Amino acid sequence: MHEAPKNLSEYRKEIDKALDDNFLRRTLDTFAVAYRANREAIFKEVDEKALIKQIADAKDDACKHMDELYEQFRAEAEKRGVHVYRAADAKEANEIIARIAKENDVKKIVKSKSMTAEEIQLNPYLEKEGFIVDETDLGEWIIQLRHEGPSHMVMPAIHLSRYQVADDFTKVTGVKQDTDVQRLVKVARVQLRRKFLAADMGVSGCNFAVAECGAVSTVTNEGNARMVTTVPRVHVAIAGLDKLVPTIDVALTALQVLPRNATAQRLTSYVTFIAGATECGSASDGKKSMHVVFLDNGRSEIAKDPLFSQIFRCVRCGACANVCPVFRLVGGHKMGYIYIGAIGLILTYFFHGKDIAKTLCQNCVGCESCKNICAGGIDLPRLIREIRARLVDEKGDSVGMLVSSVLKNRKMFHNLLKFAKFAQKPVTGGAPFIRHLPEFLLGKHGFKALPAIANESFRDRWPRIAPRIDKPKFKVAIFGGCAQDFIYPEQLEACVKILAAKGVAVDYPMEQSCCGLPLEMLGQRKASLQVAEQNINAFDAGAYDAIITLCASCASHLKHVYPQLTENMGDLHAKAQAFADKVMDFSSFVHDVLGLKPEDFNNSGEKVTYHASCHLCRGLHVKEAPRELIADAATYVPCAEEEVCCGFGGSYSAKFPEISGQLLENKLKNVAETGATRLVVDCPGCVMQLRGGAEKKKMNLKVSHMAELLAEQLKK
Amino acid sequence: MAPEHQQVLDTFSANAQATTAVVTEAPNMAAALQYVVDVCENRPAAELLADEDVEKGPNGPNGVPTRVQRIIAAPDLDDADFEQLSGICAEKGFSCIRQGMRKHLAGIEVGVTKAVLGIAASGTCMVDSDNEDARLAGMVSEVHILLLKKSEVYPDLPSVAQKVRERMNARPATYTTFITGPSRTADIERVAAVGVHGPLELHIILLED
Ligand code: SF4
Repeated sequence: MHEAPKNLSEYRKEIDKALDDNFLRRTLDTFAVAYRANREAIFKEVDEKALIKQIADAKDDACKHMDELYEQFRAEAEKRGVHVYRAADAKEANEIIARIAKENDVKKIVKSKSMTAEEIQLNPYLEKEGFIVDETDLGEWIIQLRHEGPSHMVMPAIHLSRYQVADDFTKVTGVKQDTDVQRLVKVARVQLRRKFLAADMGVSGCNFAVAECGAVSTVTNEGNARMVTTVPRVHVAIAGLDKLVPTIDVALTALQVLPRNATAQRLTSYVTFIAGATECGSASDGKKSMHVVFLDNGRSEIAKDPLFSQIFRCVRCGACANVCPVFRLVGGHKMGYIYIGAIGLILTYFFHGKDIAKTLCQNCVGCESCKNICAGGIDLPRLIREIRARLVDEKGDSVGMLVSSVLKNRKMFHNLLKFAKFAQKPVTGGAPFIRHLPEFLLGKHGFKALPAIANESFRDRWPRIAPRIDKPKFKVAIFGGCAQDFIYPEQLEACVKILAAKGVAVDYPMEQSCCGLPLEMLGQRKASLQVAEQNINAFDAGAYDAIITLCASCASHLKHVYPQLTENMGDLHAKAQAFADKVMDFSSFVHDVLGLKPEDFNNSGEKVTYHASCHLCRGLHVKEAPRELIADAATYVPCAEEEVCCGFGGSYSAKFPEISGQLLENKLKNVAETGATRLVVDCPGCVMQLRGGAEKKKMNLKVSHMAELLAEQLKK
Repeated sequence: MAPEHQQVLDTFSANAQATTAVVTEAPNMAAALQYVVDVCENRPAAELLADEDVEKGPNGPNGVPTRVQRIIAAPDLDDADFEQLSGICAEKGFSCIRQGMRKHLAGIEVGVTKAVLGIAASGTCMVDSDNEDARLAGMVSEVHILLLKKSEVYPDLPSVAQKVRERMNARPATYTTFITGPSRTADIERVAAVGVHGPLELHIILLED
């Protein structure tokens, strides 16, 4: 465990330190890239989506029957000579375990890895009670020697170098140790074997508690859990109530995903199922004294929540950290409290309270990488937004309130943007970049140049430029979004030009406003719902073949979040769904619906690379259309890590400029390596981030929206 | 053998080898047992990772003494097979034991145990280790050798669910392990290393029925 950040400025200072840790940065970079490739390869052999769905369904069902499963487990386990306990909270769980140790005259305890034990801070408690506790998982042992908490749920010592480990091992053995990893591992082999032999009690975690036969299972590569559960005479397994599953089958299904997701292995080296108190040569009666302690700690309450109960699908694979661009930059000590990664932000709120969670849970850029790979199919970004909304409800947030009061009033908001246009005049001097925009929208960014508000917004241009089409092939409406309406109207104009040329009738409903995503990111749920309603009413969805947006973030928000926001709201929900069904991103419309082909363009031959916006490639799963379109109009050169976030994240880049800036830096480095002279993106937010970064670095790189490239090269 | 089953076996071997397990075939038990003894003979003496009251040889690579009297543990072999193994061990001067593993937790050369079944999709063996000596033999040996019948290899985890269930309900207390390769870790700088706790090597002998 580590200190939880008390406020944003303190947190940002810590993040700065993490960003300066070169070893950590290098390690996590290599890991992120290797993990992505290995994971992809190992999932080719199974039907990933189907398995994840199976796990989600089975665990949802288990969650609904938590109490029954507990009773069934208890009956089966007791039949097999096991003592079963149910602890209401961390304190009670610690007391039960200490009592078991005392009653069995235990002095030395060995442990295998258990996040649940970390959750209740079992080690410090047992040590305070006078027991000697040794971790036996190599990574856990290393961090125990250093008095640190894990920085990853699967690789707890990933933040440490071999040199640091060699120093620690030198200290603990009193002999100077080599820094060769293979040698260091063998030092642990010798030291820990002795600890196993001396221990009276073993404490293990539990990945699955199988109710039908009262079995607890452990999953390890090292085999330490088998030693922990075999050698000492007493065994205590600790399990969250969420680990209960009805049958062996559920565990075996999950085991096809857990190791693949965790470490890109087909199966972990050792998976054990212990059903009953087995024979034990070190016990006086020849039988293991076996105990299973179930921890509630709020779980039975969360299980009743229709939305949040999905957190119990988590199998603790750690993958949501592995793919997180923020984790990759700052490491687990800054991306969680005890539980790490996306799920860590959520579990911290529930298990360790809002004070500890309030700052941490702001640190999600909303890129949706985790949602796409979660073994339980948990909608992690949504739950994080949801928690922000709850925190705002409970605590209020002055900046958020201000933004919210502005944004929910369309006229006031739009006037403000127009006013900003005049306010900036003296500083821009006509240049397309300025230093300051209204801070509530964009915050302070030293790392990129900020764009100016356009002289004339798209909505003001519309009456003049609206095309008139006879016998249109399709009828569409454009959802502009703030960035394009007020900052980049030329992107929308490019779109209109293409649509008109291809015989599509276009509408621009004037009552539309901000999509509301910035409000969601700030946890301003009420205002977010209000603007959603405004937009839904602004469009007569039935009248159009599609509602097109050139902003990937708006698209994904309108399409997925509107129906969620309006759940259980009867008519409004139906309207939201009808609206959402019509929403389509620009590239998909021109590629899939209009069927634009190479023949439609004069191929410029320019080397053009691509950045796949988070909300396009993961939010909407649009992958091929943009790349093919670029190749139609120019020479497409792929970029390394094309689908990794550019760091924009809306208000995120204002809250965490250091992280946002670093993500941008990495992205532009990859872009520079392609040798392309132009970078195309399908989202104005990304354009703002990337163009601003390229300008600041004086790169020879033009950053365009897809619509601009296509409009330029479209054959007349 | 049906061609489909041969394919399952091939997948099993490939996936087991991918975990660095050594997979070999034996036409009969006698050949398998000879293999076990050969493995023991062809490797350095086991290191004594903790203190044990036995004659000690020179220090091994990890700076701890080595065994002089080599040990092969075979706790769950059938009587006749155990007799046969003991015979070959005696010729070589190895001690062949069936129980008393707790006396040798400091480490032994070879543990040989039976696998109940194999799982092709991951190159996994399921072992019944209710017998504590069998369990320990698979943990504290430097080389763990598993005997697996070719006819008992199944495609994937879901296809063995019912068998696992039956096994767990067969006795009041059971300890079942799925083993996939040797003991491994990547906890230091993500560098792969084997033998952090248990066996340094895993061998699987595929037996004709
Ligand atoms: S939330 Fe999903 S991805 Fe994250 S640890 Fe849990 S199962 Fe794995």
